[in-house]
Parts: sequence; structure tokens; C-alpha cells
Amino acid sequence: MNQKSQHNTMAPDSSIVSPFLKPGTVTKPHGLAIVQLSRDNLVPVYLQDTKGAHDGYAEGAVVNTRYGSFPHSTLIGVPWGSQIRASNVDTGSRGRKRKRNIGDEGGNEDAEDGAGAKQANKEEVEGNDEQVLPKKATTASSGFVHVLPPTPELWTASLPHRTQVVYTPDYSFILHRIRARPGTRLIEAGAGSGSFTHASVRACYNGYPLSDTDRKGKVFSFEYHEQRFQKMKVELSSHGLDGLVHLTHRDVYKDGFNVNGVSPEAEAIFLDLPAPWEALPHLSRSRPASKQSLGTEENPWVSPLNPRKSAHLCTFSPCIEQVTKTVSAMRRLGWVNIEMVEICNRRIQVFRDRVGLNLPVERGANLTPANVMEAVARQAEIEERFKEHARSGPSTGEMEIDEDVEADTKDGEAIRAAAAAAGYKVWKEGKLITKGEAEVKTHTSYLVFAVLPREWSEKEEAAASARWPCGGEEKVIGALNKEARRREKQKVHEGQKKKGAKKSMEGAAIAALDVPCKPDGVRAS
Amino acid sequence: MYSVVQPNGWVALRLPSDTTKVLQVIPNTTISLGKYGSFPSNLIIHRPFHLTYELEDKREDESYCRLRVVPPSELYADVIAEEDEAQGCTTPGDQSDKILSATDGVEFSLVDDDGKVIAKSNRETIDDNARQTLTMEEIEELKREGTGAGKDIIAKLLLSHTALDQKTSFSLAKYKLLKTRKYIRRFQVLPLDVPLLGKWMLEEKDAMRVMEMRDEMIGLVGCWANVHYAGEDVTLDELNASRRGATNEEVTDEDRLKGLEEEVKPIDGRWLVIDDTSGFLVGAMAERMGILYQEEEEIKEQPTEQAVQASSEIKAENDTSNEIDQTKPKEQTAEQAVQVSSELEAENDTSNDIDQTKPELRKLALPKKLQPRSHDFQIPYSQTNTITLLHAASQPNLSFLTYYGFDVQNPNHPPHPLINHLLPLTWLQLLHPEKDSAYTTPPPHLPQEKLTAMKTNRRGGYHRKRRRYARVRHIVDSARAGNFSGLAVASTMEPISILQHTLPLLAGGAPIAIYSPSIEPLSELADCFSVARRSAWMSPETAPPETIGKTAAELERWEGNDDFPLNPTLLLNVMIQTSRARRWQVLPQRTHPVMTDRGGSEGYVFTAFRARPAEGRVEARGKHTAKRRKVGEKSADASAAGTPAPTEARVGGHS
Repeated sequence: MNQKSQHNTMAPDSSIVSPFLKPGTVTKPHGLAIVQLSRDNLVPVYLQDTKGAHDGYAEGAVVNTRYGSFPHSTLIGVPWGSQIRASNVDTGSRGRKRKRNIGDEGGNEDAEDGAGAKQANKEEVEGNDEQVLPKKATTASSGFVHVLPPTPELWTASLPHRTQVVYTPDYSFILHRIRARPGTRLIEAGAGSGSFTHASVRACYNGYPLSDTDRKGKVFSFEYHEQRFQKMKVELSSHGLDGLVHLTHRDVYKDGFNVNGVSPEAEAIFLDLPAPWEALPHLSRSRPASKQSLGTEENPWVSPLNPRKSAHLCTFSPCIEQVTKTVSAMRRLGWVNIEMVEICNRRIQVFRDRVGLNLPVERGANLTPANVMEAVARQAEIEERFKEHARSGPSTGEMEIDEDVEADTKDGEAIRAAAAAAGYKVWKEGKLITKGEAEVKTHTSYLVFAVLPREWSEKEEAAASARWPCGGEEKVIGALNKEARRREKQKVHEGQKKKGAKKSMEGAAIAALDVPCKPDGVRAS
Repeated sequence: MYSVVQPNGWVALRLPSDTTKVLQVIPNTTISLGKYGSFPSNLIIHRPFHLTYELEDKREDESYCRLRVVPPSELYADVIAEEDEAQGCTTPGDQSDKILSATDGVEFSLVDDDGKVIAKSNRETIDDNARQTLTMEEIEELKREGTGAGKDIIAKLLLSHTALDQKTSFSLAKYKLLKTRKYIRRFQVLPLDVPLLGKWMLEEKDAMRVMEMRDEMIGLVGCWANVHYAGEDVTLDELNASRRGATNEEVTDEDRLKGLEEEVKPIDGRWLVIDDTSGFLVGAMAERMGILYQEEEEIKEQPTEQAVQASSEIKAENDTSNEIDQTKPKEQTAEQAVQVSSELEAENDTSNDIDQTKPELRKLALPKKLQPRSHDFQIPYSQTNTITLLHAASQPNLSFLTYYGFDVQNPNHPPHPLINHLLPLTWLQLLHPEKDSAYTTPPPHLPQEKLTAMKTNRRGGYHRKRRRYARVRHIVDSARAGNFSGLAVASTMEPISILQHTLPLLAGGAPIAIYSPSIEPLSELADCFSVARRSAWMSPETAPPETIGKTAAELERWEGNDDFPLNPTLLLNVMIQTSRARRWQVLPQRTHPVMTDRGGSEGYVFTAFRARPAEGRVEARGKHTAKRRKVGEKSADASAAGTPAPTEARVGGHS
């Protein structure tokens, strides 16, 4: 990496760097934080340090959840990962005039934050006249949340608008396969809800460009849908990603991928489009046959690809018909190493399976026999009791049987209570087992990967072959058949005879023989 | 990553048989592809990646095969022709004249029963039992004198097959592919990056060495551990410059060592790694952080004109430089062996690898990066964008990194981005630094006059020892200071024991990703954070007695017991997942998942985030709190008095 020391002083300080890339150690006002209610219940919150009552809350802006209310003031300035206690917030008496349904706190958290962020400015203007300090939050007796730094994974899981989302199992694999690394220029078409955008920014980030000519890793994102484009634009700005993502509102089928006529020089491409084959011709090295109309004499066709590197492409299509068409187009356009895969991701639950007749009554325990022995013992016991009952005579009637059974259950409870007192540890009992989660995503989309090698002109080839002329080969590397090996040996021996002094030759030749076959065999063992 | 093949760089050659050959492209050698022939290495140096070459027949006046770039239209000719035919674009002609293709990953299995004959033998059936009429000798003969990069022999084989007209189009295609894979003299040049290295290890070499870690897993671990480029390098000197002003020339060793201790001020962008995959995980992380590949040498402009003019001259030059290469390794290793103490067991094998790449690397980056150190105790490491590697042996096993020109054991390493971003330390150094001699043995100190009187290599040894001491001090102290921004693990060790010692070192909110080839170690770990265990930990009746009354900071470093191996409140969002990419064959009329794939372990990833529990007891709100609330009311109220728990106390508490 080209770290130059003078850059350090010029580099934007951490307040400008996106919280996704450098969250710092504590939560900051106006920053994005992910509030975690429970494992799959995440709420993105833009923290506000309101100067007075906000939206009817004396404590300023408040996050209301089903686990309690959390004024932003309790979420700001704490280390990431902190557990935050709920506060006593008066949610009942505020803003009766407003239409908001107070009883429905848990349900409208998302709306709350979205609306809260937008209203923040208005409220502040109104609130400034009063100059009232927000009421200090008092801690409630129960309820808590955790506050986490934003990462693409958490953002994806908490996305406020659920259009098409590329989830972590897919994007992690895609970014790995299309070689999105620090410094990569990446084209993304179909920004959608922005999950892939955030993940690819993290992958390509190698510093903010300091000037227009400073070439850094960057994501060029294209969105056709006007409203989604607007929403994304606001979102990217508020996430501090403006210098790292270039978002364009465009129909890429028609207008391709250049930005203001300038090539993004991409080496990685992700197409989440309904018809990738319509966009593929734009991603050529030279003007494609089907697009003769594009580009004229004075306005030549410019490839959006990096002319010096192979381009790695992935398309994301849910239907097999789309894949067939895409692959066919790829073959005709010179893409190689075409491969189609589908990602099957499963989340796995871990729990303790508690089965047995003699377990204490508690949630999750299955009070049935744990094994045949237990079942048999139980049956034998019952059988014995019936026999006893028969022997004692028929006169006693049904009442007694009932008493017997009752006594039995009471006994059982007593046993279980004793077990609990004797140190029954519910979290350690039972067999530890795993199984798939209740709901499985069986199909997201088909991923088609392909590579387009760089163009190689005759001039470049001539230069390379002049620099590296052939005919002077000294030894053989790679697989050797018997004959070649013998020839190699003969050559070495001859060389030794001719020039006794040239001993180093043999060593080098042997090293060369060993190297490709076993590059690190010694250290492995 | 490079845009063209580098001399002395490692590449992978993909052969028609779908095998991968990984080798170092040494200039002026012949690369042999076994039965597919051989060619001079110079023909691929400084050429682009991902091109498919065909070995041409030897020209009369030349002793080697030239290469021809096979255009993709030729690679896919069969499939494209088939598609066109299906659309009625062309009339079905004699397909055996068409160029043969070796489409990648193709597998023909669907057989169309009414498939029409598309190629016919022009011979009469001679023997019904022998379907292939060419004898072994004839085939051998063809192979010897075979021309047209093997296309000849394939065409002859097809035509000599007696039952060819009985084959359906799909089974014919399959037969053709089979023969093509066997005889076509083609190969593709691929860059040996981390995904390819993994694939090669997994499918062809030794899957156990990478713990059977597939691409999906590497991707998940990298993403969930949030591994990314963390910013420009910051050195300690830069960090301290503002604090201390200009460094005084007359600083004593003691001052500097003291300064070293003070200097340990961890900032973010540091990842903690435990890697038992011989450096594969470290490599993958370094790739994500932009510190794996060296900057590309600008070969294009400067040498070309010169080279065109006087190619013979350069050839001579190359020859001599080659000789230098060959003599250098021996000298150097010998020298090193004398100079360097036990720390550096130079292995001939690897140092040879490195040395062959060395001359090129040297030219590459020397003037830019290597500023001389002002004193022995200057810390060469960046303070951000680093990987701290915990290893169980005395030396880390990072043998895969030799493919990327990095050898952790080489004391005189040519410039490489990993040198000042990879901080290895042993578990002993982390947990009991006082028992580690490298950490505790004070550095030698000699007066200047004695030093000047010393022999050069002894003086070198003296400085090396002092530098090493400062380095070890810094690595250990900064690792123990914690505040890591993430943890990635692929280890054969028990994950519970790993987390016992690494959890306290993580910053709040730091992500954790642990890979395991089997699920059991991970499920045991997840069970430590189960809901039942967490509520037992919270409730005064069942919480371990020794934890009662301790502060959150003390509980972070609590050593654990049988009931609670780990503090169950330290992790959030605990999740185990597995992922598998299912490959498909995509061909007209016969698209389906491939029939077989690698078995072995599925691979699982445990992910979580580091939490910072609030001080005192925290009551959950929800269904089951009603009963308990009465019991816990008092304690909750008591601890709630000054809440939210004072942030200063918590920041300070994390030492």
C-alpha cells in the first residue's frame, strides 16, 4: 500500500471517515448506531443530542422498544457494545394531539427513527425558542438493549426498507470471488436497498480520495428506480460514504456504465438486474458489435473496464432462464471461466435436549422416558400398583385409585424439588444438540461468475517477447516425465564435466526441480 | 494484484484435465506440463492472466513450442454452434470439422433418446467388439507426431470410433470432451491469489492443511469479523511526535525502553488472529486489508524500448543475473547462520524460494520504503491496519505466505507490506510474558567505542538483538493492552479456551468469527452463551459465588469455572451458520446441478459481537420477568441509583 507519511496529516480525521469503516471507541452524537433488542431484532438509530424536549419527550429524542424506552442521551458517549438500561420515559401523556399511537411502541420503532431523524431539524428550530434542557433520564427497573457499531452485516440485518436484499452469505462469497479488495474499482448495478453497496465499500476501501485525480478503490453504483436512488443518496451521505461511492440514477441497459463519459476503470462488477445480458455488451473491452450505434467519430466508445486488469463479474438472478440467457451472452462476448453456483446457507440452533421421567418440571424439559429402561421401570411400577389394588379387594371403589395417582404426582413433584435443591443446573443438563433453524432460505439467487481477460495487443506482445526472448532455457520446471528428468540430469553432469567450477549450477537446478512440486513441503511436516 | 505474470512470481496453470499446476515462473526455463507438452517460461512472463494458450507445433528452426492465444470464440465454438442450431440460425453441418472446445466444468449426462447423428464415421464397421479401431500403437504414433495442438488426434479418434453414428448428440459431445481433455494441448494462466490457493489446496493438494476451509467460509469469516483496510499506516513516532516534540539524540537506552512502555496506546484497526491453517487465514485477511500483495512494478514504460533495441544484450544480462541468483542464496544463508541466533532457523528450502524472487523484489521498492531507523528501539510496526497473530508453536507456521513473497523467518526480508503489519506472538508471551526469555532478557548494551571495534557481523548481531527485544516488547505489550477491533479464528484448539483469554482483549462491539470444520466445538461454545446460562449467571441464587460483588471490569477477566467456562454476558448475537455453494452446469438444454462435488466437512462459522455488560444486575423485560421481579427489585434499584452506569468508570475499568 502506498502510505506516504505526509498523507497522515492530510488524511481526514476519524470524524469524517464513515462509522462503517472507523467507528471509533464510543458512540458519538449524529452518528449511526445499531441498537440491538434481541438477536434478530436490530434497529438503526441516528443518535441526536437534542437540546430540549423532542417530539413530546422531556428527555429529548427517544428510542422506544418493546424492552423499554431509551433516550438518545443514554446512548451517546458510551463504549460500543455497551449494555444500556431502559429509562423511565413518560410515553403516555406526550403529544396527545399527534396521531401517533402510543400503545404501539414496539411495532413502530422503524418509523420512529425515520421520522425522528427527519423531524430533528424542525424540532430543534422550534425547541430553541424555549431553551429548555432535556430532562435527565431516570433508569427503569428493567429492560435493556445493546448498542453496536454499524457494520455491513448488521446494517443488512436491520435494513429499514426491504426491497431486494443481498444477504451476507451471498455477498461475502461474491466479494471474495470477484476479488473485491482494497483499491478495487467496482461497478454495482441495481443498488437496491444498499446492502451490497455497504459491503462492497468496505471491501474496496483503501482511503478516501484526496483529490479528483487521486485513484482509490471506489464503488460505482447504478440505480434505475428514482425513489430508491434518492433514498440511497441520502443514506450514503449520512453514512459518510460520499467519497467512496458514486451513485448514478440510470438505465444501464441503455446508457452503460461510464460516469460523465469517463470510464470507472472497473475490475469487479456485480449485476443485480432483471436482464444482465442487456447490460453485458456495455462491459466490453472494445465497442461491441451489437452497440455500433453507441459512440461516434468525435465521441468514441469508452470501455468502463480497467484496461490493465482482468475483470471479474458476478450476476445475481433468481430464475434459471435468466441464467441461461446470461451465460449464452457471456460466451459470445468473450467471458471465460464461466461458473454458476447457488449459495445454500443454514443457521444452526444449539440447545439442550432434556428428556426423562425424573426431571424437575421446567420449561423445555420433555417428561417422557429417556430410554427403554426408564419406560419399563415406569410400566412395571404401574402394573405393580394395579396388582396391589386388586389384592386389597374390589370394595374400595374408584376414589382410592384417584388418590393413588394424586399421591404419585405429588411424590414426583417432591422428587423434583429435591433435585433442584440438590443443585440441578438447568443450563448444564441434557444432551447438547444442534439442528437447523425453523425457517430456511432455500433459494436466494443464482450467481454466475465470469472473467474477462485484458486485451493484449500485438505491440504489447512484441515488447514482452523482446524483453523475454526464448531459446535460452536452461532447466525444466513443472511436471517432468522420466525422459525429461534423465535429460536434465545428463545436462547437469555434462555441465559439471565441462566446467568443474560451476558447482552452484547443480544446486540451483535441483532446487528448481524441487520447488514447484513441493514448495513448502518441509515446513508443512 | 498484478496485471501481468511477474518473473519469479507464482502462478497457477489450469490444464485441460481440470488439474491445477502451481509453479514459480523462473525466467529462462522450460515449463513442462507433462503429457500436454512444454514451453519456455519467457513466453508467459509479462503477459496477462486468464488467457488460454495452445501449444503450437515446433517450428523447423526452433527447439521450443510457441504459444497461441485461443480466443474465447474458439473455446466456446461448440456450444455457440449448438445454440445457433437450436435457433435455426445455421444448417446442421458436419460438426467434426468444427473446432473442439473444452468448456470448463462441463459434464454431459442427460441423454436425448431421439438425438440425431451429427457426425459419421467414414469407415465401415470392422469389428463390433472393438469400438475404437485405432490400435494402441497407432495412437502412440499419433501422439508423438501429433500436430495441431492435439486436435488432429482427437479428430482421428472420433472418426475411428465405429459406434459414433449410434451416439446421441449429447453422448457424442461427452465423448469428444473426454478425448479433448486428454489430448488437447492447452492451458490457462491464473494468478495465485487466495481464492485460487484455497481451491487448489482443497481440491487437489491437502485439504487438511487449510482445515477444509472453502471459499464460502473464508468469505463469511472475513465479513463477520469485519476485516477491512483500516487506514494509512501510523507509526509510534508519528503518534508521539506531538506529545514529546523532537527526539533528543542523547537519549539513553533506559529512556527509550521506558518510552516504549508508555508508547503502547492501542488505536483501532487491529485484528487478532489464531491461525492453524499454515497462514491461509492470515493470507485471506491480509488480502482483505490490502497488505498481502506488493505494489506492482511499473514494467511497461522504461524497459521496453531498450529491450526492443538490444534483446540479445538483455538476454546476456539475464543470464548473469541468474548466476548471481544462484550463488547468492548460499552465501546469504551461510552468513545468516553465523550472525543470527536461535531465533532464525533459516530453512534452505524456503529461503531458496525467497531468494529466487529476491533480486526482483529488491529493485522494486528499496528506495521508497526503507528509511534507516534512527535507533534500535524504534518500532517498525504500523499502529493500525495490523494483524496480531497468536501461535502455539515457538514460530508461527505461515508457509502459504511464501507464495506471496513473505517469509516470517527471514531476518533480512526484502520489502513486503506484511513485515510491518503482522505481529506474531506466542500464547506464553500473551499469558505469562515473565516466563518468556525473549521478553524478559534485557537487551545488550555496549559503549560506542567497543561497538566500533567489533567485527561487522558481530555488530550486526548486537543491533539485531536489541531490535528484536524492542519488537517483542512492543508486540507483547500492545497485545496485552487489548482493544482489538476483531477476532478471527481457524484453529484446532478448543474455542472455549481461546475465548477465555482473548475475549477480554477485544474492544466493545468487536466482532468475532470462528471457523471450525466440525460443529461440535462451536456448539459447545455457543452453549456457554445460552439463554439458560445467562439467566443463571444473572440470578443471585445460581450465579457463581466468587463472582458476586465483582465489578463488570473484573468479571470481564474472570477465569471461569465448570458451570460457567466463560462469562456468558460478554457476547451478543451468538450465531452458528454453514454455507455451501452448489455448482451448476449451464449448457443449452442440459442445465442442472453438477452430479458430484467435494465431500468432507461442511465447515461452520460461529459469529458474535463483544458486549460490555452494564455494572450491576440488569433485569430483562419480557414474559418471564413477572415472577422474578419481586425478588430482584431491591438489587436492581440499588444498582440503578447512579445509572446509566458511569461511562468513565467503565472506560477506565477496561485496562
